[in-house]
Amino acid sequence: MKVRKFITIAAVSLALTVAGSSAFAGKVKLVGSGASFPYPIYSTWFSQFSKANSGIQVNYQSKGSGAGIRDFLNGVVDFAASDAAMKEEEMAKVKDGVQLLPMTAGEVVLAYNLKGVKDLKLSRKAYTGIFLGKVKTWNDPLIADANPGMKLPATPITVVARADSSGTTYVLTKHLSAISPEFAEKVGVAKQPSWPTDINMIKSPKNAGVNASIKRATGAIGYTEYAYARMAKLNMVSLENKEGSYVAPGLTGGQAALANVEIPENMIAWVSDPAGKDSYPIATYTWMIFHKKYADAGKARVLRKMVNYCLDNGQAIADQMGYIPLPANVIAQVKVAAENIK
Amino acid sequence: MNETKNDLLQLPNLERQPFEPRALKSILLSTITIICAVLACVPLFSVLVMLIYRGGSRISLELFTALPPTAFQFDGGGISNAIIGTLFMVGIAALITIPFGVLAAIYLAELGPYSKVATIARFSAKTMSGLPSIIAGVFAYAIMVITMGGYSAWAGGVALAVLMLPTILLTAEETIKMVPKRMKEAAFGMGCTPSQSMTKVVLPMALPGIITGVVLAVARAAGETAPLLFTAIFSEYALEPNDPTASLAVLIYNYSNSTSENQLELAWAASLVLVVLVFILNMVSRWIGSRTRK
Repeated sequence: MKVRKFITIAAVSLALTVAGSSAFAGKVKLVGSGASFPYPIYSTWFSQFSKANSGIQVNYQSKGSGAGIRDFLNGVVDFAASDAAMKEEEMAKVKDGVQLLPMTAGEVVLAYNLKGVKDLKLSRKAYTGIFLGKVKTWNDPLIADANPGMKLPATPITVVARADSSGTTYVLTKHLSAISPEFAEKVGVAKQPSWPTDINMIKSPKNAGVNASIKRATGAIGYTEYAYARMAKLNMVSLENKEGSYVAPGLTGGQAALANVEIPENMIAWVSDPAGKDSYPIATYTWMIFHKKYADAGKARVLRKMVNYCLDNGQAIADQMGYIPLPANVIAQVKVAAENIK
Repeated sequence: MNETKNDLLQLPNLERQPFEPRALKSILLSTITIICAVLACVPLFSVLVMLIYRGGSRISLELFTALPPTAFQFDGGGISNAIIGTLFMVGIAALITIPFGVLAAIYLAELGPYSKVATIARFSAKTMSGLPSIIAGVFAYAIMVITMGGYSAWAGGVALAVLMLPTILLTAEETIKMVPKRMKEAAFGMGCTPSQSMTKVVLPMALPGIITGVVLAVARAAGETAPLLFTAIFSEYALEPNDPTASLAVLIYNYSNSTSENQLELAWAASLVLVVLVFILNMVSRWIGSRTRK
């Protein structure tokens, strides 16, 4: 009979929890999911924003850009985020219209794990060769040529790629396809491409997973957002840009890359191969995706408020977190476009 | 007389001789089985030692009361919402599956054990007990998340319920069947109706066994990640059942790949908490189970 008493107590306490939590029904709660690329900065923004506004709670989960767009199309989230923007045919499926807003920008870096090798440089031929599976060992002449005097081991190269549908992969393959016709033909631009089969590859979920895999495997190289690689204290490659100079990832290289980008009306702009001597070659905006029309006007108002918070207070911390703050003219443009969220 | 004595003398010596081949064989085989038995304990204990070593340092009041840290919060934070979320969702799942499972078990064991419905139900329960947990998640995503228009603790509870139901159903059926027939006959003999014999005699007798099954199912559900990834995902905020909800399993999954040392430490601590929780549940089920035999 003790057991029966226990069950009663458990049931009653569960009922109380439910009753208690519904007391917060007055709160505006927003749920978003998607890109892992900006997750560290988004989660920081949203937790600060929620703290500053007592009636608001924004929950953003990092699932990968592809999963975020799917959630958005299924209508299970209020907003999504993607570094691959959104395809025309995907947007056509959304009845209430779609508004994309670039919220921050970042760089895709090549991070590696090789004992005793620091400040590695890779030429365009070398890094496309790695992702085509043609450059197979670390002492390949294509790598050695750009790094005179460096002692490179004969360790085989393990490429770490994303396992999920990823905007980071999209940005990388877009860049590689722009600089190498062979890559464009064999792999192409995709969130989840079919990599060459003879490549020595590990696949990991999300940006965090790629970083963890690089950290674990000697001889590994993978692509990830700058903020993640910096937080994971991984070595990053200086890449050869369009003008032939080697640029290390960081704020200046990223800002230079995005400096001359014009943002069109749909707010989707790509920089697949930026010009300029100081430009870091793989940089991208990353977008939040909203409906143009929300059934709940209060929700739309809070979403606009959230966007403005990210644009005003949020950009100030972008640099210290490893992202590129939006240029002032872009911020002004995004603010105007945010008014479309109704 | 004489003849029998001779027969006895011809019998082989049955006393144990230390260096006889069969004695050696026996020692050898016993040693192997002992070693295997010891090795079987190694995974559990090495996991426990590792968890205490890596996660023990974070065990503090803050761990149980604070909310999780963001990626750029380099120290502090806790897992309170994940602990509550796990308990809450497992609780919902138990509330759904216990009445459901036990009533179905009564039918399977007592009312129509050989009927077509019972055969099909038993077969589907046995098949479902081997169902990959991620399928339960996809199922709950389709029937709960999409129709309700969002991730929620309710959807998580339903996904866990799908996983718990077969265990509860099958163990309840077995224990109800094990109630001695004499007891039921005695109840009928004293003028009990079938429902009286069920509620006053059979169910009380079977209760410890049913509870053992429930506790085991709860212990399994508490550690499941895949079904929750599709239904409750995660949240950095306190429990609100209509919204995405944190759980220990998903917290471990998310943070174990984190680049932030602080979140990594929390993943270890959460693993320790989860293992201890499951350990306690198992002990409880053994304790209840041992009371049946007396």
